[in-house]
Amino acid sequence: MKVLWSWLLELCDLDKQPTVEEGAKALTRGGLEIEGMTDLGAGFSGVVVAEVVGRKPHPQAEKLTLVDVITEKGGAATQVVCGAPNVPDPGRKVLWAQIGATLPGGMTLAAKPVKGIVSPGMLCAEDELGLGDDHGGIIVLPEDDRTALGAKAQVALGLDDWMLEVNAPANRGDVLGHLGVARELVAMLRGKIVLPDVDLSAFVGGDGAVPMVDIANAASCPRYTARLITKLQVRPSPQRIAQRLRGVGVRPISNLVDVTNYVMFELGQPLHAFDAETLSAGTVRISHAADGEKFTTLDKIHRTLIPGDLVIRDGEKGIALAGVMGGLDTEVTDKTTRVLLESASFQPLLIRRTARRLGLHSEASHRFERGVDPELAQLASDRAARLMCQHGGGEIASRLVDAYPQKRTSPTLTVRMARVRMVGGVPLETSTCRDALERLGFTVGGSGEVLDVTPPSARADVAREVDVIEEILRVVGYEQVPSSLPILRQAPGNRPADRADVVRKALAAAGLSEAITYGFQSVERNGALGLPGSDRRSQPIAVRNPMSIDQAVMRTSLLPNLIAAVTRNASHGRHDVAICEVGSVFLRRGEGSVDRPLHELADEPTWCAGVLSGKRGGQLGAGTAWDAFDAKGYAQIAIRAVAGDVEIKTRATQSVPCFHPGVAGELVVGGHVVGWFGEVHPEVRRRLGVEAPVFAFDLDLTRLRLMDPAQMRSIPRFPGSTRDVSLLLAASMPASRIEEVIAAVGEPLVNQVRLLEDYRDPKLGEGMKSMLWSILYRSPERTLTDVEVDKAHEAIVGRLMENLPAQRR
Amino acid sequence: MSANELIANLDKLGDEFLSVIQPLSDEQAIRAAQAQFLGKKGKVSEVMKELSKLPPADRPLVGAAVNKVKQTIEEQVCRRLGELTALAAKADLARVVDVTLPARPVPQGHLHLLTQVRLEAVQIFSELGFVVADGPQIETDWHTFEALAIPKDHPARDMQDTFYLSEEIVLRTHTSPVQVRTMLTQAPPIRIVAPGHVYRRDDDPTHSPMFTQIEGLAVDEGLSFADLKGVLIHFVSRFFQKELTVRLRPSYFPFVEPGAEVDMQCSFCGGSGCRLCKGTGWVEIGGAGVVDPDVFAHCKIDSEKYTGFAFGMGLERMAMLRHGVNDIKFYYEGDVRFLEQF
Repeated sequence: MKVLWSWLLELCDLDKQPTVEEGAKALTRGGLEIEGMTDLGAGFSGVVVAEVVGRKPHPQAEKLTLVDVITEKGGAATQVVCGAPNVPDPGRKVLWAQIGATLPGGMTLAAKPVKGIVSPGMLCAEDELGLGDDHGGIIVLPEDDRTALGAKAQVALGLDDWMLEVNAPANRGDVLGHLGVARELVAMLRGKIVLPDVDLSAFVGGDGAVPMVDIANAASCPRYTARLITKLQVRPSPQRIAQRLRGVGVRPISNLVDVTNYVMFELGQPLHAFDAETLSAGTVRISHAADGEKFTTLDKIHRTLIPGDLVIRDGEKGIALAGVMGGLDTEVTDKTTRVLLESASFQPLLIRRTARRLGLHSEASHRFERGVDPELAQLASDRAARLMCQHGGGEIASRLVDAYPQKRTSPTLTVRMARVRMVGGVPLETSTCRDALERLGFTVGGSGEVLDVTPPSARADVAREVDVIEEILRVVGYEQVPSSLPILRQAPGNRPADRADVVRKALAAAGLSEAITYGFQSVERNGALGLPGSDRRSQPIAVRNPMSIDQAVMRTSLLPNLIAAVTRNASHGRHDVAICEVGSVFLRRGEGSVDRPLHELADEPTWCAGVLSGKRGGQLGAGTAWDAFDAKGYAQIAIRAVAGDVEIKTRATQSVPCFHPGVAGELVVGGHVVGWFGEVHPEVRRRLGVEAPVFAFDLDLTRLRLMDPAQMRSIPRFPGSTRDVSLLLAASMPASRIEEVIAAVGEPLVNQVRLLEDYRDPKLGEGMKSMLWSILYRSPERTLTDVEVDKAHEAIVGRLMENLPAQRR
Repeated sequence: MSANELIANLDKLGDEFLSVIQPLSDEQAIRAAQAQFLGKKGKVSEVMKELSKLPPADRPLVGAAVNKVKQTIEEQVCRRLGELTALAAKADLARVVDVTLPARPVPQGHLHLLTQVRLEAVQIFSELGFVVADGPQIETDWHTFEALAIPKDHPARDMQDTFYLSEEIVLRTHTSPVQVRTMLTQAPPIRIVAPGHVYRRDDDPTHSPMFTQIEGLAVDEGLSFADLKGVLIHFVSRFFQKELTVRLRPSYFPFVEPGAEVDMQCSFCGGSGCRLCKGTGWVEIGGAGVVDPDVFAHCKIDSEKYTGFAFGMGLERMAMLRHGVNDIKFYYEGDVRFLEQF
């Protein structure tokens, strides 16, 4: 919310006059953060108030006038060339941008000939000073303007001021007007509030018809006041009101409308003025809308209401959407002479719901949503009535009609000093606390260790002891709270290492760079893997209100974002990419499709995926291309990081659609498939924009049992013996089959089986290959003899030849 | 041959051996030469055969000469081998490699900067007894808002623009629901930190629709606002590796009372004012406060017996402040030019 520094100062009498910086700092320190400060007059400089003392036509140009101006009484006149049609009579004041003046847009004035006559600067129009769009003529100050000649134009324009942007907390409806902010200033800097002039005695006229007010439901509308003001004349607002409204970002319209806005900004009480001529029933009723009730708001939009909406009625006819917007039919116009002035308070929740449902966020609804103190209604009504009469020539035709079924009373809260000290951690004296609260306008009773605290009616947010404690602390200053460290007291049972972090560290140590990508993605990207509809991952959870289509659904796999990252890197010229991600994917529980809303939490298993594309660096030149076995290697590292030194079996698979059917393997641990690796299916990577082959692995880490602390195995004390065997086999024979056969023999001396060569050559015969296997035999108890080793080895070779089939080479 | 002749021959053999091995430059040839002289059929043995023909009185003299020549030869072998070893060592040291050639790249992986920062933050809080807790990113409205004293239609909901998955299910806008989940399942004392991804409808150079928070919660008897301050000061000083102070500024978060914005003394200028802190000497790093009794009520914790404090910070922000990351987007694009820097 925007506030003006001069306006704030007008509403308080501070013990010591602060600078605007001091004021802003004090407010921020107390919790009203000042997010920005704008010097309203910073847009231009070198423009001064000058009096016109003479004028004559320009000899060369019909539309130009030569204006004589002075900047001090009796001073020498200067002749300025002016093109405006409204050069005033001598005696009136104008704004003269002298030579060297800078104007919005950065222009600096220099003496310049205009049709042969040099003009020392110019007389300014509104638009030239950045004050509005008006270029119809120069600014002529009002006759009663009292600004001294030669003063900065900012003074005359009310721009010799600062605008502060207050970040009002959501629970502080009371600071949405200058008065509330002034109260904070008074509390922080000490001083007292100066209420604005609400004396109506000069404007009381004859008795008009006193309207009746009928509140149907006091919970919806705690207070409604109405007052009739007559004999008004619509005209532009006085300069001061117009200037202040502009300063807080509101466009002045006319005296009546402007006064309602002015008082709202001044006191925080939204007001509404109805054209009383348009009202006929004599009773203002406040009741909820009928379902489907039609109403046209003053923005000319026809609206359909629901029973939750609160309506102000002239008899039965709706005339305003309470707290949100007035109706078109009863709007104040240029011809209005009689006004029914509303000053009321409504239940915040109702106003918020209506405003949100209709997308109608107004200055009024913003305040009502945050709560407007019912106690404020009369003050605001009086203030507005005074200003309307003062500036619109009206008179008050009726007493204030005040429907206030249940007067707001603030609760008296018991505040224990021991609790204050305990929660704050600071040893405060009772007197300090009392002083802090009184500075905020709280009433403090009791003494010693227990205080009875009554907050002012505006502070409905203070309802509990702890709220009072916060008030005390923020006035005393949070900086007065010392810092201490709590004693270390931990509930038993520390969490084991997180499997995700274990994997991240292992993969980074092995050479992959960790990426973190968004949890949501586009529908298209989610579908890029080509998973069948029966797969849970092809039914992602949709975001109802995404910011863009790229964030439409929650990811069900890590791969699409990672493969897309390869594209992104390639677009920067980086074709060699080796990255991984460990994170949650989001899967529906049970049945559901992307169109169906989610009614329960999702499964969020932790997956780990990696993609390799291009080459790994070599010392000089090209390096080596990544392939599927690199992906397999990284997958095994990830699995072992979680599960320890488990046996990982590999099976070729053609059933994972995102992988190349001939270059894909599933990884099996303890009989369960825990993930896959291989070459990404060329169509999948093309859908995601990648030209070059991509190798990947994809693991569901939640399927792995997190290992217990690794136990040391004994280091062999005796040497082993190696025997090799070269086999001639069918080219289609998978390596895993040989390992299985060797394992099936169950020879206890076999310590390690390694494949040294997988050799394919037409000379070996059609469809054949050769494999060289090396088997290490070792006993933990003794050195083996050659005879023992040979015997074991021959038994294994025999089994291989028999079972595979294979020939020995 | 007489004894003297034999002795002279033996001496000559000694000299001859020297001339034979001197040109030899490998151990094998030297050993072969040694065998030629000292082997069974070697030249010295030939001489020894004459020994038996000598009168017994002369034999000791000649025998001594034989031993002497044997010793000489062995010494020469030793010496020559030593020479050769020294030469070889010298030659080896004469090798010159262009060490300015590029290194052979060792696979070098990188933990994501946010992971590094998160692990470090968790480590620092663990020194004070905080353990990690977590919760789902897809959360109920109740855990995300209602239990944290942010009822439906409360203006405080405007503070966090929420992604909805349905009427009741949201992408969590903060890690605070982990507080609720923890308090519902664990009795005090509680000391947890909950790092994790959160989501808000916000997208500009300093806001990302997904970002990472770390939440802290301590519930115990006698915890105060001062303890909160101490924990935060400990954290920023350890994280930024310098003595930094923390300023708590009154603010409103519905689930804490008293509530505060947490400002840290600018880590870049130390508080004297710079571009980073916009001249104020302070940078905002998060929100904090004393747990609101209403939250305790939702979580069935006795707010008379226990007090607690909670805080939340953005890890992206912490990493930005410490590592100069100037656009939050870099964290999530998978651009290896970024990932490989940390």
